Amino acid sequence: MSPLIEQLISAFKCLPGVGPKSAQRMAYYLLERDKQGALELAQSLQMAVEKIGHCDMCRAFTEDERCEICSNTARHSNQLCIVETPADILAIEQSTDYKGLYFVLMGHLSPLDGMGPSEIGLDILAKRLAEESINEIILATNTTVEGEATAHYIAEMVAGEDIKVTRIAHGVPIGGELEYVNGSTLSHAFSGRREV
Amino acid sequence: MNSDPVSLNKQDKAYVLHSRPYKNTSMIIEVLTREHGRMTLVAKGAKRAGSPFQGCLELFTPIFIAWGGRSEMKTLYKAEVISGSGNLAGDLIFTGFYLNELIMYLLHKHEAHAALFDAYQDCLNNLQAGEDTELVLRYFELRLLNELGYGVSLDHELQTGEPVQADKQYTYNLEAGISSDTSSDSAVLNISGDTLLALSAGEISTERQKSEAKRLLRSILEYHLEGRPIKTRELFTQKKKFPLSH
Repeated sequence: MSPLIEQLISAFKCLPGVGPKSAQRMAYYLLERDKQGALELAQSLQMAVEKIGHCDMCRAFTEDERCEICSNTARHSNQLCIVETPADILAIEQSTDYKGLYFVLMGHLSPLDGMGPSEIGLDILAKRLAEESINEIILATNTTVEGEATAHYIAEMVAGEDIKVTRIAHGVPIGGELEYVNGSTLSHAFSGRREV
Repeated sequence: MNSDPVSLNKQDKAYVLHSRPYKNTSMIIEVLTREHGRMTLVAKGAKRAGSPFQGCLELFTPIFIAWGGRSEMKTLYKAEVISGSGNLAGDLIFTGFYLNELIMYLLHKHEAHAALFDAYQDCLNNLQAGEDTELVLRYFELRLLNELGYGVSLDHELQTGEPVQADKQYTYNLEAGISSDTSSDSAVLNISGDTLLALSAGEISTERQKSEAKRLLRSILEYHLEGRPIKTRELFTQKKKFPLSH
């Protein structure tokens, strides 16, 4: 096989879930049928990798120094919602009326993945908390053990400061029937019950 | 050739030690099973809404699993939480992370150690029951080392075979083991006889014994970890590094 084709195939293998077989299929497809598409892909990749960095406030991806949400002065700058991934911001923006700012951890605490406090940007978070006048932190990490650990760690980090720390509620999904809700969710829902 | 995949199914008690996303909605999990050791399984569709695996593949939760398949990486077919089990919370989750790091780094795949599985389970239960974290950890570390064949004789001197006495001082290093010869100047660790006996009998009580036992076990573990750092320690040490004061 020509060295260039081989190089292309092995380059495709860096995509998650793409093995040698799929990489070969993609390479041949682009070369045979869609050279224009291939060029566009190459250019977009090049541009994106060169230009896109992390927002200096929330760590989300952006090609500017500061992302759209962080630079929007109409948003409440005293509320900070902490999420694991940029996709979580999207989900919250689409379905809630939250108007505060965000901070993206780009993961969660997981020592086995090499993710410790500085890898999830907690030094940057601490600096923000010290410099800005934030009075509420909303911990919207996942409801996995790792997400809980991360939320707990941040809560402890902030303890003693004049900042209200809240954790998103977890419980029975809307339209869910108790009988089919898994045990741990149901027990959380029970311990987090509230007066009506 | 046996072409019926069902007959190749295996089942066992297990704990998830680590999980990572795989493809769009799947996960690759690392499990510690009781009879089949540590292994990697793929949990197909585990992140899809309504997946039967949801809530079952959390760390520190005892589950009953069935798996099979003919490829190198086996597929998880079934997972069920063993009822009546709570979970770790707060700082104890970090302690759990530490246990998982030790097992992932020290235990080879597919080596069955039922006693190690039991030690892990006891350890999690004891932590959950609010027992002294330091002590629970020390006894787990000791059981782990013994089970992996790295055990250290704590109540006898390695070279002379003399029984350890509570009122004497001892040294430990890897080659000489426990020794009453305190004259040597090489890299050794000092430890008192009563700590050795207490650790061996599972009766550590004083703060001094706790800290001596911690140093001893850390040094033995460090040797077997071959320089691999325990990342979980950062969760305890870095806390102080983030001053929020203006």
